[in-house]
Amino acid sequence: MTTKRFIMNAGRTSKQGQQINVGKDHAEYQTIVNTLTMHADDMKALNVVAGASVRVRSEFGEAVFLCKEGKVPTGMVFVPYGPPTCRLMGQGTDGTGMPTSKNWEVEIEPITSES
Amino acid sequence: MGGKVTCTLGEVKNRADLIIYWGGNPAECHPRHFTKYTLTQKGKFIPKGRKDRTMILVDIRETPSAKAADIFLQVRPNKDFEVLSALRALVKGQRIDAARAAETGLTVEQLQDFADRMKQARFGVLFFGMGLSMTRGKHMNSAALLSLAAELNAFTKFVAMPMRGHGNVTGGDVIMRWTTGYPFGVNLSRGYPRFNPGEFSTVDLLLRGDNDAALILGADPGATMPQPAIDHLARIPTITLDPKVTHTSRLSRVHITTAATGISAPGTVYRMDEIPLPLRPPLKSPYPTDEEVVRRIYKAVAKKPMWLPLLEPTAKG
Repeated sequence: MTTKRFIMNAGRTSKQGQQINVGKDHAEYQTIVNTLTMHADDMKALNVVAGASVRVRSEFGEAVFLCKEGKVPTGMVFVPYGPPTCRLMGQGTDGTGMPTSKNWEVEIEPITSES
Repeated sequence: MGGKVTCTLGEVKNRADLIIYWGGNPAECHPRHFTKYTLTQKGKFIPKGRKDRTMILVDIRETPSAKAADIFLQVRPNKDFEVLSALRALVKGQRIDAARAAETGLTVEQLQDFADRMKQARFGVLFFGMGLSMTRGKHMNSAALLSLAAELNAFTKFVAMPMRGHGNVTGGDVIMRWTTGYPFGVNLSRGYPRFNPGEFSTVDLLLRGDNDAALILGADPGATMPQPAIDHLARIPTITLDPKVTHTSRLSRVHITTAATGISAPGTVYRMDEIPLPLRPPLKSPYPTDEEVVRRIYKAVAKKPMWLPLLEPTAKG
């Protein structure tokens, strides 16, 4: 099984902002927060195709995302904030009151039918 | 660490010829920022609008905001503090090491050009987002940026402004400041305000499990906070006030639907430059406003006996 380390960058998107006003139970919102964007070269290296599922592990937890190709630097993935990123997020605030919610290290592996 | 040299968005519109966004994606997160205040508007001293302004975007990935920028500088993740320190040195005419500069993802030439543009601007603004303040370095990154803005005033007029989040987070901070003296992370359990981020801030309280009840107003921590904090909210009696059913509503004991502020409820919101704006709702709602609900809860709580055991005077006094 190929696994690779990435920097996970979480953020907001305008589509997500629109969907918040529709409702967070809506299928489109769920799709947005459960999809990560990865560079095409990294997808090749991991042997994943667009729409395939990947398992993301951080020091704190793990979550499953759909993978899509997009404009991010190699070695980085982008995910809109949502319940799946909560499971991966850093749990200390370093005395600031803010959890580390950007640029944390994760390990990603493709999910095959056997896994 | 000093304070914040800042201004209003009206001054940005009328005066700013150099707009810098750092760790923010206004094209998606603040879609009216460019058109209302910072880029395309013509101002009193910016007669040609966009043609009179230069925009620089600093980020770790090429976001949709890069299309609006004249210069896009892609820094490596977690290297913002180093870039800001290098800029502070260059602004003061000091030299920086090329190999160390390269570690940030930028060349010395790019950094020198950036520093020169800032010094040559007539009125520069540094807008900074969560890409700066919530990544490694956190408040120290913000402090470095605020120091850079302050130091640039030795050469020209320069200000800084955080790109505050949706809703009324600025209002929350401003009200806390003039009622308690502190902007957030305030503990009132002793009857007077105490401020200590990392101890009294929401995430830290929830992660340690210090609080035994929660009232959530206009927020959805169930979709934004670390999982152990969310698990604690599910364990304790949590009350959520929100116009919509959110992830936090699902784990709450009580969800109270309230009118949407600005749509069906009046009130005051603070813009990110801390200017209060009154809201006139165009619609009526069958639901009460957040304020009405909180007032009713307060009234009901006030009728309850004091929860602290009264100290009995001893015979010896």
